[in-house]
Parts: sequence; structure tokens; C-alpha cells
Amino acid sequence: MRELSYLEAIREALQQEMRRDPRVFVIGEDVGVYGGAFGVTRGLVEEFGEQRIIDTPISELGIAGAITGAALTGMRPVGEIMFMDFTTLAIEQLVNQAAKIRFMFGGTATVPFVLRCPAGSGTGAAAQHSQSLENWFVHVPGLKVVMPSTPYDAKGLLLAAIRDDNPVIFVEQKLLYKTRGPVPEEDYTVPLGKADIKRAGRDLTIVATGVMVARALEAAEQLAREGIEVEVVDPRTLKPLDAELIIQSVSKTGRVLIVHEAARTGGYGGELAAIIAESEAFDYLDAPIVRLAGRDMPIPYNRTLEYHTVPQVENIVEAARQLAQGRV
Amino acid sequence: MAVPVILPKMEMSQENATITEWLTVEGETVRKGQPLLMVETDKVSVEIESPADGILAGIRFGAQETVPVTTVIAQILAPGEELGAVEDPDGQAVSLKTQEFALPADDRVVTPVARRMATELGVDLNAVSGSGPGGRVVKADVEAAASATGPRGLRASPAARRLARAGGIDLAAVPGSGPRGRVQAADVQALLAQSTAESPADELIPFAGMRATIARRMTESYQRAPHIHLRATADVSAVEATRRRLSELGDEKITFTVMLVKVCAWALCHHPRVNATVTDAGMQLCADVNVGVAVSLPEGLIVPVIRQADQRSLSDLARALNDLTVRARAGTLTPADVADGSFTLTNLGMFGVESFDPILNPPQAAILGVGAPVRTATEVGDQVVFRPRVQLTLGADHRALDGAIAAQFLADLVAALEQPELMLL
Repeated sequence: MRELSYLEAIREALQQEMRRDPRVFVIGEDVGVYGGAFGVTRGLVEEFGEQRIIDTPISELGIAGAITGAALTGMRPVGEIMFMDFTTLAIEQLVNQAAKIRFMFGGTATVPFVLRCPAGSGTGAAAQHSQSLENWFVHVPGLKVVMPSTPYDAKGLLLAAIRDDNPVIFVEQKLLYKTRGPVPEEDYTVPLGKADIKRAGRDLTIVATGVMVARALEAAEQLAREGIEVEVVDPRTLKPLDAELIIQSVSKTGRVLIVHEAARTGGYGGELAAIIAESEAFDYLDAPIVRLAGRDMPIPYNRTLEYHTVPQVENIVEAARQLAQGRV
Repeated sequence: MAVPVILPKMEMSQENATITEWLTVEGETVRKGQPLLMVETDKVSVEIESPADGILAGIRFGAQETVPVTTVIAQILAPGEELGAVEDPDGQAVSLKTQEFALPADDRVVTPVARRMATELGVDLNAVSGSGPGGRVVKADVEAAASATGPRGLRASPAARRLARAGGIDLAAVPGSGPRGRVQAADVQALLAQSTAESPADELIPFAGMRATIARRMTESYQRAPHIHLRATADVSAVEATRRRLSELGDEKITFTVMLVKVCAWALCHHPRVNATVTDAGMQLCADVNVGVAVSLPEGLIVPVIRQADQRSLSDLARALNDLTVRARAGTLTPADVADGSFTLTNLGMFGVESFDPILNPPQAAILGVGAPVRTATEVGDQVVFRPRVQLTLGADHRALDGAIAAQFLADLVAALEQPELMLL
């Protein structure tokens, strides 16, 4: 199959859906002529024009309000927040308006927008441009949160997100933009709320999100050489979550390591751990549930410090090995 | 008001009964009609049911204790109620043991799962304080009580606990290989593998209840009564034809065993010395012909008695035998149903046994063992034909019966089986 980068897969999804559905448009800072801060929307303004690829002033609240309003009037907008960190400025529209409207109008109004948010560290962009804030939005009823880890999932999930009638926070991984993988040319969706077993194994389950999926797979490859068979589960959609697949996997292996980049305290891993502990998988646990997550500190600018702030492959290998060998 | 649980008198001559087993425990909530305990007499084992709804309290006798009939053996109390005053059958007031358990309060409820776990884990529910709504004892309370009495600081992973539960393994006995000595799934699995690798231990089933009675009576009979066994075979084609014809004519299905009862009863009328019981003092000729029929139950053999079998029609015998067999299997025979037999019939034909030597059912003087019909070449006139033949083995107590007398009785049995119309004479 043809290979695309994660970035190209997202662009192709936008392009195909805009051709298919005239209600879809893109709005954000520098998404037009400049092609987006990371180049995701490059070339789109030439095809679709400035009416459908809209550059905005530097106002995240404006973007969030515009897509909320447009969605309410029947459009299917895709907003872009240049760095997920800046959703702080948009949060009134997202949390108090977009997430609530469908419920407060008894289901008669829908807010079918997607807000794309490049997130994560590893680019030397320092504390205000490196955060993983997905769990803030997971906590808000009414929002869906999607976090693709491969080019294939990125395209399929974005198409599903645009077609979904609810506001979707689409968390893109900056570090993954250049990674390549097979992506079908045709239109396809990856349903929201469906997790994926990225690698099957019997000794240990790693539930990883976003960029950590790739690191977990690399760790699994190393551990396989030691005879430790790791199963890597990617939730893909944080909300709604496919808890069943995770519970099945943990029930099978009896050991689980949860890995995410976001800060540990109050992170998504706590929710996953609770779901596992509350489920029938509890009776199959042969070791404590272990979380591996970002340190509880702002991402440093210094590249060495930055590297050590979030889980790396070697950290995952070590944690998984200890868990698999019954040393935890 | 406290309702007494009284050891009932099950037959006129009965003085005592032995408690074999309590089916519920003191402090347990019981319903009217719920079986509380098993008692046995020499002859039968009977369930004693609760006379009321309430809480079982004041149990005065344990298993294996022999108690005079009409004794108050326990009481059923309403919640919060005190034990009532008790008199023994001889009118003596009984000083009751002080209550060793706290009666549940009015609103005390135990969830079904907590009750089940308490039974499984051997936790005394009365010692558990309830943390649920309205003081309800919930699962966690039982678990807490169980772990409090278990070894302190036992660490085990949930998976290890699950495997131990499923495998019936005591976690405290499993060495833990995990961090801080935590018992891991692999530790339990190792122990399970080890225990299944060992050959299972021989199981001792103590003689109890009915089994103990059988053991005692058969030993006594075999050791004290000098047995003689006489064998004869009978062509049963005629009796079989009669049986079939009568089954079609009447409402009752006449079985071969019913025919045998009839034949025995008829022959016993003609041989009163065989219809007798034997003691050291002498032999007692029985006025009634009461034929016992051995019925096999999972827990042992029982011999319900058809009284005055010689006076009954075949359909009456069929009804009586059917009734006794059904009640024997249901465990609802009364002592009277198994008392006063003067002769016993035991048939193993349905198992394909051709002949066997039965042990006398004391104090009876004789017993007949009947085997399976076997098609046998038989001389009829000048021809050899195949006829179903049954082997009859008469066991007799030689103290009372000599071989010749037993032989005459056996010959009449054969004659009546081969020519059933003889019984009409």
C-alpha cells in the first residue's frame, strides 16, 4: 500500500472531505497562504480558496467561537489551534458553549466541529508550546477526544470526526507529523470509540496513547528479544473509550503498564487504571497497575532535560521488564 | 414467643432417637417447614422441620447424641427474644446454657453474597458488624472478618486470589515469590500443579446413620445366625404370561416383583415355620405374613414391609409396593413402614445377577434371593425348548429351620411360579 506521512494523511483527509462535502471548511491562524505552522494545510488554499481555508487574527477564542457558531448553523468546520497549549485561550467557547449546547437544547441542536490541536513535546518548543492537555477535555461531558498514533488512524479518525455530530478535540502529535505509514487513497473512516491492538502479546499489556504508541511498539520489539511478549493497545479515542478491549487484554495478560506523555498527576492514565481496577479484569491482575507518564513539571527548553521529562523507549522497556518479571 | 423444637415420637414403641446431623446452625434465620436436623431410629432416618419462622436458638444436643422422644431440643425465637423455659419429658426443669451468640437485632439483614461467603469462609455472621445501610452485613464485612482471623499482612495479587479461590487453596499456605512476599498467580499455579500431580488421598467415609445401622445389623446376622442357602430354579414363562395378562386387565402394572411377593406370601401361609423370627429364646411364629422387599438407595439398603401380603390382591400389592418404593426413594418412609417384617424378598435380577446368597434380615428366619431370568434349554415332553428360568436362593436360619423344611418351602415357591393357578386352589 502507498505510504504517507502522518501530516500528509491529515491533509488528505481534509482535502477529500472538503471535495465531498461543501459544508466543510478550515479555519485557523496561518492555515491559508502559509499552509499552517507545521504545513498540514499547505496547498489547500490554492484548491479551495480563501472562503473555505480561512486565516484568522491571533485569537483562539475567536476560532473556537467561529467554529461553534458555524457548526450550529449547519456547517462542518475544522478549526486549528496552532499549539494545543493555546486552547487555554479558547476554553470558554469549548467547555461552556460547544460541549453544552446539544444537551441544553434537548438534542435539537448539534455542534459538529473538529478542533485540531498539535500537541506534545520533543521539538524544543519549551513549556508553553509542548503540552499534552487532552485530559482537560476528556473531563468535559459533551466533548469527544481523539488521539491518533499512526498515519492510517489519523486519516480515518479525522474523517470520522468531521462526520460526527459532536464537537471533537483532535489531538495531533507534532513528533509524529513526519512518521510514515500505509494509508489507503480511498475514503475510509476509523470509528470513534474503537481501540486497536497494535501488537499482540501474552505477558504484559501496554496501553499507550499518541506518540507513546510508537515508543511502546519499539520497546515491545526489544523485549521480544528477551522473550517478553508485550501486547500494545492504542485506545485511539480517549473519549468515548473502548474499555472492553483494554479489559479483555488485561484479563489475558494479568499485567498492565499505562504510558502517556501528559503529566502523571490528573492524567488519563489514572482514569484507565481506575477503569481496569473496577472491571472484571481486576481478578486477573497479577501485579499492581503501573503508570509511566510525563513528570509533574513544565516541559523544559533544554533538550536534554526535555528528553528526560517524558517517557522514552528505554523507560518503557525498563518498566515493562520489571512488571513482566514480577518485580513490581 | 419462643417455639420449642421437639423431638417427635415417630412410632408407638419408640423411646429414643439419635441426632445424626444439624442442617443449620444456631443463630441462623429459619422458615417454618425448613429441615433443621436429621435424626435416626434403629430403622429410619428422618428430617425434623422447623415448627415456625424465626431464629434457631438454644440447641441442647449435638450430633450423635441420643435423646428421649418429646424432648425439647432447640427453640425458634423472634428477633430479640429470650430463650423460653424448658422442661424435660420427665417434668424436670432444664437449666439452659447461657446464650453464646448475640441474637440479631430487628433490622439486621445479611446480603445473599455475604451469607454465602460467610459459609464458605467459615465466618460467624453473628460476630460480624454490618456496615451496609441499616446495619446490613455486606460482602466487605465478611471479607474483613475473614482476613482479620487469617494471617496478618497476607499479600496476594488479585489473580492469585482468584486462582486460589477456584482451586480451593489456602493462600496462607502458598509461599509468595513476588515483591514483599506477595503471592503471585504463578505461585498458586505451581501449588495446584503439585497437588494434582500427587495421587488423590484415599477417602474415608465413616459409617453413619443408615450405613451404620446396616453395618451393625448385617454383622450381627452373619455372625450369630447359622446360615444355610438352598438353590432351585423355576421356569417363569407361565408366571410371566399371567403377569402380562393381568397388567392388561387391571389398572395396576403388575411387576415381576409383585408376582414374587404374591408367591412368597402364598407359600408362607403353607409353611408357618418359615414365616417366623428367631431370638436366643426361641423362634416365634408370626401371625401375619408381612413381606419385606429390599429397596436399594444411594445411601444404603432399606426394606419396607407389605403387611398381611397374603390377604391382598395382586393390584393391591402392586399399589402398596409402588407407594413404598416411591417413599423409600424420597426418604419419607416412617418407622412403621419398615417394622414387623416376617420374611424378606431381595431381587437383584435387574442388575443381571443370576444368583446370590442373601444374608438374613434379623430377626427373620428366612430370606429369598432372586436372580435374573436366563433362557435355558428345558425338557418339555419329548422336546427341548428354551424357557426363561430364574434361580431362587433361600437363605434360612438353621437354628429354626432345617434343610428339609426350607426345601419344601422352596419347592412350593417353584411350583407356584411355574403354575400360578395353584394359588387359586
